[in-house]
Amino acid sequence: MRVSVPIVGAALLLTGGAAAGLRGQTPTTFIVESPTMTTGTFMPRDYSPDGRNLSPPLSWRGLPVGTRQLAVISQDYGAGRPPPWVHWIIYNIPASAQGLPEGIPFDPDHPMPTEITGAIQGNNGWGLAAYRGPAPPAGSVHHYHFAVFALDEELDLPPGLDRGELLQAIDGHVIGQGDMVTLYERQPMNELLR
Amino acid sequence: MTDSKGPRPAISRRDLLRTAGAAGAAALIPDAVGGVTKESPATSARAAAGEEQAGGLLSSDTAPLLAGPLTNLTASETEILSAMVDRLIPSDKLGPGALDAGVLQYIDRALSEAESDSAEVYRSGLAALDTYSRYTRGGPFIDLSTIDQDSVLIDVQLGVATGAGVGFVGSSGSFFNMVKSHTWQGMFGDPKYGGNVNFAGWDLIDYPGVRLGVSAEDQRSLEADQLDPVRRSAYDFSLFE
Repeated sequence: MRVSVPIVGAALLLTGGAAAGLRGQTPTTFIVESPTMTTGTFMPRDYSPDGRNLSPPLSWRGLPVGTRQLAVISQDYGAGRPPPWVHWIIYNIPASAQGLPEGIPFDPDHPMPTEITGAIQGNNGWGLAAYRGPAPPAGSVHHYHFAVFALDEELDLPPGLDRGELLQAIDGHVIGQGDMVTLYERQPMNELLR
Repeated sequence: MTDSKGPRPAISRRDLLRTAGAAGAAALIPDAVGGVTKESPATSARAAAGEEQAGGLLSSDTAPLLAGPLTNLTASETEILSAMVDRLIPSDKLGPGALDAGVLQYIDRALSEAESDSAEVYRSGLAALDTYSRYTRGGPFIDLSTIDQDSVLIDVQLGVATGAGVGFVGSSGSFFNMVKSHTWQGMFGDPKYGGNVNFAGWDLIDYPGVRLGVSAEDQRSLEADQLDPVRRSAYDFSLFE
């Protein structure tokens, strides 16, 4: 399915152009959503260190035919030297998964949820194989992308990949890509009441 | 950022601990932390043989584990520190953790001696840790599940446990690193300083113990992973008195 060039161009821009499609073909786009977040709005604080810092739930639909596996990168293009700052990497996601549940374990001794058995978390910008949510400087609003890649092959990637290594590994295998963007601004602790 | 190529199996916190390196761990004691070497009769034939080699010196007693608040912290502060230290090195199938190894005792002694300047940092940091837990996880740190405690400590370690009203002086990461360093020292340092009770830390990383000499047979045994550890303080040897 062909899509308009500006949309695909923006999607490739989000990955720095590193995740090329299959045999030079332009990846298709698909929908990425969340039951608890809305694109273009502020994410709940429980997905940040102002709250429980859980990984947010994601869902996707309209995956391209031939999708055999998925990978997700959550990143902030307004942070990092150089940008983006990576908050989360998870890959080897089975194609049967319709999304990611909330609260993926950060302890490697805890198994992945059944629906994403086999998935592995790579190293984020802090070097942790886990999700760690937004922590922008006080008073600034940042944008957080949740980029999902549909791959044409079960790549069986090793643990511990960072963003660059993951993009290199999936290069040439991306047949589709979707993205969801949310916002966050840190909340002063003395204004958080439970 | 790229690392070396090839598979990198996921490793747990305890796995990292076991490969930390015995020599480095045993050396993590500040010179100014004092203490009195306790003596007791040898407990095994191997220890007796080691005594002869070492000139007839006796092995150290294991200091009694802490019962009650620390000298330098309140009961509440001790509870929070205890919970934090227990998450840094928990007791599990690999062996005793930091609490069983007397790490709190080590920290208390350090706060009374070489680290006395850090006592207030501990107090404010522990209070901030608890405030952060209450605000973000809905309860005091000691009442959280171990998963939530670990999540809190990750945020503290990364320096993101900030925000007006939390109370960390500077970065929360500085506080975390201080407690972690003292926990490592108390776990893996010489028992003379109050920690590493029953040599739990040295056993965890398979440190063979202090020896004044290593024979060829010792070396072969070490390489075959069959060398019996020498369980005594370095200060039991007259050379280090």
